[in-house]
Amino acid sequence: MRSSNLSRTAAALLVGAAVLSPLCAWAGSCCGGGSAASLLVPKYARAVADLSFDAELYDGYWNFDGDHKPDPPDSDLKQYRLNLGYAQRLARDWQASVTLPYVWNENKYSGLSSGTDGLGDMAVSLWYEALDDESAWRVKNARDLIPAVTLGLSLLLPTGISPYDDVKSSFDVTGRGFYRLDGNLIIDKTVQPWNASLALTYGTYFERSVNREYGRYVEPYRKQLGDRFSAVFCLGYRFVLGTAGDTLTATASYAYLHEDDGSVNGVTDTTTGFEKQSAGLAFTYANLDRDWSLRAGWNHAIAANGWGRNFPTTDIITTGVRYVFR
Amino acid sequence: MLLLLVALATLAGCGDNLFPSGEDKRPPVQPGTTGPAVGQQAPDFSAPDTGGAAVTLASALAARRGIVLYFTMWCPICDSHMSNMRSSVMPQFSGVGFYLVDYVSGAAAAAGSAAAAAGYAGGGFTILADVGQVMLGSYQATMGTTVVIDGSGTVRMNEDYQNGARLVAVLGGLP
Repeated sequence: MRSSNLSRTAAALLVGAAVLSPLCAWAGSCCGGGSAASLLVPKYARAVADLSFDAELYDGYWNFDGDHKPDPPDSDLKQYRLNLGYAQRLARDWQASVTLPYVWNENKYSGLSSGTDGLGDMAVSLWYEALDDESAWRVKNARDLIPAVTLGLSLLLPTGISPYDDVKSSFDVTGRGFYRLDGNLIIDKTVQPWNASLALTYGTYFERSVNREYGRYVEPYRKQLGDRFSAVFCLGYRFVLGTAGDTLTATASYAYLHEDDGSVNGVTDTTTGFEKQSAGLAFTYANLDRDWSLRAGWNHAIAANGWGRNFPTTDIITTGVRYVFR
Repeated sequence: MLLLLVALATLAGCGDNLFPSGEDKRPPVQPGTTGPAVGQQAPDFSAPDTGGAAVTLASALAARRGIVLYFTMWCPICDSHMSNMRSSVMPQFSGVGFYLVDYVSGAAAAAGSAAAAAGYAGGGFTILADVGQVMLGSYQATMGTTVVIDGSGTVRMNEDYQNGARLVAVLGGLP
C-alpha cells in the first residue's frame, strides 16, 4: 500500500537543507581558530575528514500563511542523518569537498508508523580561498581586520530516494530528486578569542522530467524547484582549557533559509516555496594540535508565527568528529 | 579514496533521479474495470465525516458533476496544497464536492480536531476520516494525492497535487 507522508516535508525538504546545516563547525580559518559553516581545509593542512550525526525532531510547522501549527495529535516524527564528509586541498588556495548523508526516517502517527532509511543527496564542492585571515592573534591596524574570504561552487546530486523513485511510501523519501548548483561565499574573521563568520549561499535547481510519483507512472511533466538563498551568521568564543592548550569554542548562530516558488511545465507552483529561520548553539573541543576536534550542537527553528512559512519546525541535535590531515 | 568509491557506487544506483525520464510509461487501462487509475470506475468507499455520518462514493456524487478527494496528513505541504485549492480552485467549481481525506487521525472526532487545528474546519471542504486507511489503499494514494471522480463514477485524475493548474483543467473538462 502506498502510504503517507509528512515526510515529503519531514524527509525531503530537510534532506535538501541538510547538506548545508546551519550548525557552525569549527575548522575553517588559516590559523586553526575560527568557525566555518562548511567543510573546509585549514590553510596549514592538506585534508579534513568529518563524521557527524544529526537527530532532527519535528515539532509542528509554519503553514502557508506563516502561522505556526502543531503536528496532529499522537504524531512523533524524527529523522536521523549520518553525514560523511571529506575535503582535500588541491593547491595553495583551492580545495574540493564531498559530503554524503545516510538518512533514517522514523515517523509515527495515531494510525500509521514507518521506519525507512537510505542514502541522502550528495554534494560536491570546489572552493577558492580569495583572502586569508592572517592576523588572528593581534590587531594593530585596519589591515589586520581583513577577514578570510572563501568562494565556492557546490553541486547537489539527487542520490537520495525521491518521490519520483519506485517507492511504495512517501515515508521512504530521503532526497528531493533535483540537481542544484550553489554559489557560496564565506567571510570569516578571527580575533582571538573571538570569531565571526557569515556564510551566504544562492542556489538554483535544474528543471527535470517527471513521469512517476511514488511508484506510479503519471502523465509526464517538467518540474523545477525555486531558487534558494541561505545566510548563516556565527559568533564564537574560544576558551583555553588548563595549561595543555586544548580549547573549547562556543558558537552561537542564526540561520535564514528561503526558497522561491517552483514551476510545473513552466507555470508557477506557489505550493513549493518556503522560508525558515533558526538559531543554534554549538560547542567544539579541540586538542592542542587542532588535528582532532569533537563538537555538539543544537539548532532550533523559531516556532512562532512569522518566523517561517510552509515548512516544519524542528530541533536538530548534532554531534560530530573531525580530523585534520597535515 | 574510500569516499570516492562510495560516491561512485552511489551514483551507479541512483539512475532514476540522476537521469530522469520523460517517457510516458502509464500502463493501458481496460475501460469498465474498477480501480484507481484514470479511466477506471472509482472504487467505492464509506468513510465518516467529522459529524460521524457515513459518506459513500454514491452519496458524495449525488447531484454533482464530480468530486475531488485530497489525501491529507495536515502537514506543511498539505497545507500549501489545501490553501491553494481553497483559494484558487474551489471558487470556480461550485458543482463539485471537495473532500479532504484524513488518513492519519484514525477516527472522525480526531479528524475534526486536526482539521480545526489546521484551520480547515468549515472552510468549504468536507473532512473524511479514513479509518484503517482503506481509501488510501484502494486509491493507491499518499500525502498530496488528488483524485477527481466525475458524476458517472469514472476516475478522471489521480496524481500528486502540483500548482492546481492540472486540477482546474480536469475539473473544467467534467461533463
